[in-house]
Amino acid sequence: MAGETASRGFGLGRPGPRASLGVVWTVFVARLKIISRYKGAILLESFLPVIFAGLPILLGTAVAGDEQTAATNFFAYTGTTCPSTDAARCSADFRLYMLMGSNTFMVVSLMLWLIGYWVRREQETGTLEALYLAPAKRLYVLAGVTSYTLVRSLIAFVTAMVIGSFAFSVNPLRPPFAAAIGFLVLGIPALWGISFFFGALVMRIKEANSVIQLLQWVLAFAMGIYFPVTVFPALLRWTAMAFPPTLMNDAIRSTLLDISSIYGPWYVVLGLMLAAAWTVPFLGYAFFGVVERRIKRDQGVGQF
Amino acid sequence: MRQRLETFYTMSKKVVVEYSRYPVAFAALFAQIFLIILLFIFSTVAFAGGDQTKIQNFGGAMAYGFVANMILSFTLWEIGFSIREEQVRGTLESLYLSPANKFSNLLSRIFAVLSWTLAMCLGGLALVSVSVGGLPAHNIAQGLLALLLTTTGFLGIGFIFAGVTIKLKESAQLLVNGLQFFFMIFSAMFFPFDALRKVSPAIIDYVSKWLPVSYCVDLFRSTLLGSPVPELASWEVEWLIVVVFGIVSPLLGYWVYHRIERKARSDGTLGEY
Repeated sequence: MAGETASRGFGLGRPGPRASLGVVWTVFVARLKIISRYKGAILLESFLPVIFAGLPILLGTAVAGDEQTAATNFFAYTGTTCPSTDAARCSADFRLYMLMGSNTFMVVSLMLWLIGYWVRREQETGTLEALYLAPAKRLYVLAGVTSYTLVRSLIAFVTAMVIGSFAFSVNPLRPPFAAAIGFLVLGIPALWGISFFFGALVMRIKEANSVIQLLQWVLAFAMGIYFPVTVFPALLRWTAMAFPPTLMNDAIRSTLLDISSIYGPWYVVLGLMLAAAWTVPFLGYAFFGVVERRIKRDQGVGQF
Repeated sequence: MRQRLETFYTMSKKVVVEYSRYPVAFAALFAQIFLIILLFIFSTVAFAGGDQTKIQNFGGAMAYGFVANMILSFTLWEIGFSIREEQVRGTLESLYLSPANKFSNLLSRIFAVLSWTLAMCLGGLALVSVSVGGLPAHNIAQGLLALLLTTTGFLGIGFIFAGVTIKLKESAQLLVNGLQFFFMIFSAMFFPFDALRKVSPAIIDYVSKWLPVSYCVDLFRSTLLGSPVPELASWEVEWLIVVVFGIVSPLLGYWVYHRIERKARSDGTLGEY
């Protein structure tokens, strides 16, 4: 009886819409306050995509002998025709291709890292169980955390884009830039959904660090940050293509660089992105709910 | 000495027991190494334009550099990160009240994971070898000696960062992360130094040549690839630098760690996080 009373927040705490929004806002602000103590972390996140993009560019230059040959070989091997006949423009497109891939990877990766570390940190410091006793729906708490991860990821994206554009002498501000950003925004709900999947996974298997480190490279591989997934064998290619971040990455690149999307014409890409934006968050939250219920029934959410 | 060895053995066992509770971590480490290698192999193949000799040479350079990168990455992360974990969980101060030898304690934090990583790297090299149609492997004994000295040298950097973690707390992770990527680029771990020279010779002259880590990577890679001369200096100079680094770095690193730890203990901030 007492347990039931406690689990329902003494029967009083049924938050209305305004209070629920308050929960989202409070969690969001709390996370921002915490990260504002570690400004260096935000700075590093902005430089990481530039470093990630620099690695294949340097590797390509070393392997092919010079950057233009690297770009030519790359576009020929991947079947991604360079839209320009100008070799210098193709080199710049090659750099921009890598930069966009790394930037998008950073957004996806950060959203997953942050949700995973949040769950793990709350488990380790013993506050996750307390959160479950609070009279707030998990959806709003998660919405607060994922909103924070989104803001942090987008800050990293924009800063890295500016730094990378100067570092690699590329100009992403072409006419399709707004459309490319549109695709990025459209990809966010699916990322939210995947974050829920990921949070549930960390809560279940507990090893946040290893899961994050592994998934980071699975992501890099599946998203095709350095090359389109068309170079994979058929089964791996179809698996990678079914992964929403691959779709988002491909949509952004093909729009900005005016190259053919691996998914087909633009309206197919748009349709697939809308479908992912609509279904993945629901699937993700449902999965989180199932895992959460099972953990609560077994050993409780506080065990780590 | 016996007490030191016992402490090292017991604490290494404790690390292994802790790891065995998290089997996914082992599997993840294994898969992660293969994924990184595959990612760069795919890239190398894409840039080589079908030239098999180039693919083999660059596959080798990348794979051997990758081994050095993994060791550096784990020594930088594991020691400091495990200290941080103990800080957060509140067990670091109690550990320092016990009569366990501090050096053995520090070394045991990395021993098991490093042994496992090296085994995984061997698997990774086998994968590269299969993928690129054979990997050049000359002077294996000399290569292993270079790798051993490289590992002890990196341990010194790991000790320093364990001390920095006590002092900087959460921000130390950022520093480690930054440093890891700094070495990855400027010590040319995933590509030959020639690539950096093509961007600007100044990068080699004013940055890479001043980093002992660069010589470790270059010596290990050039020895195994059977290069006529290493990229940064002559064989004699590179061996001298790597031997000195391998011996002096752990001593210096532990001295720095010890000073920071003593300061934290006298200030009463050891357990603060």
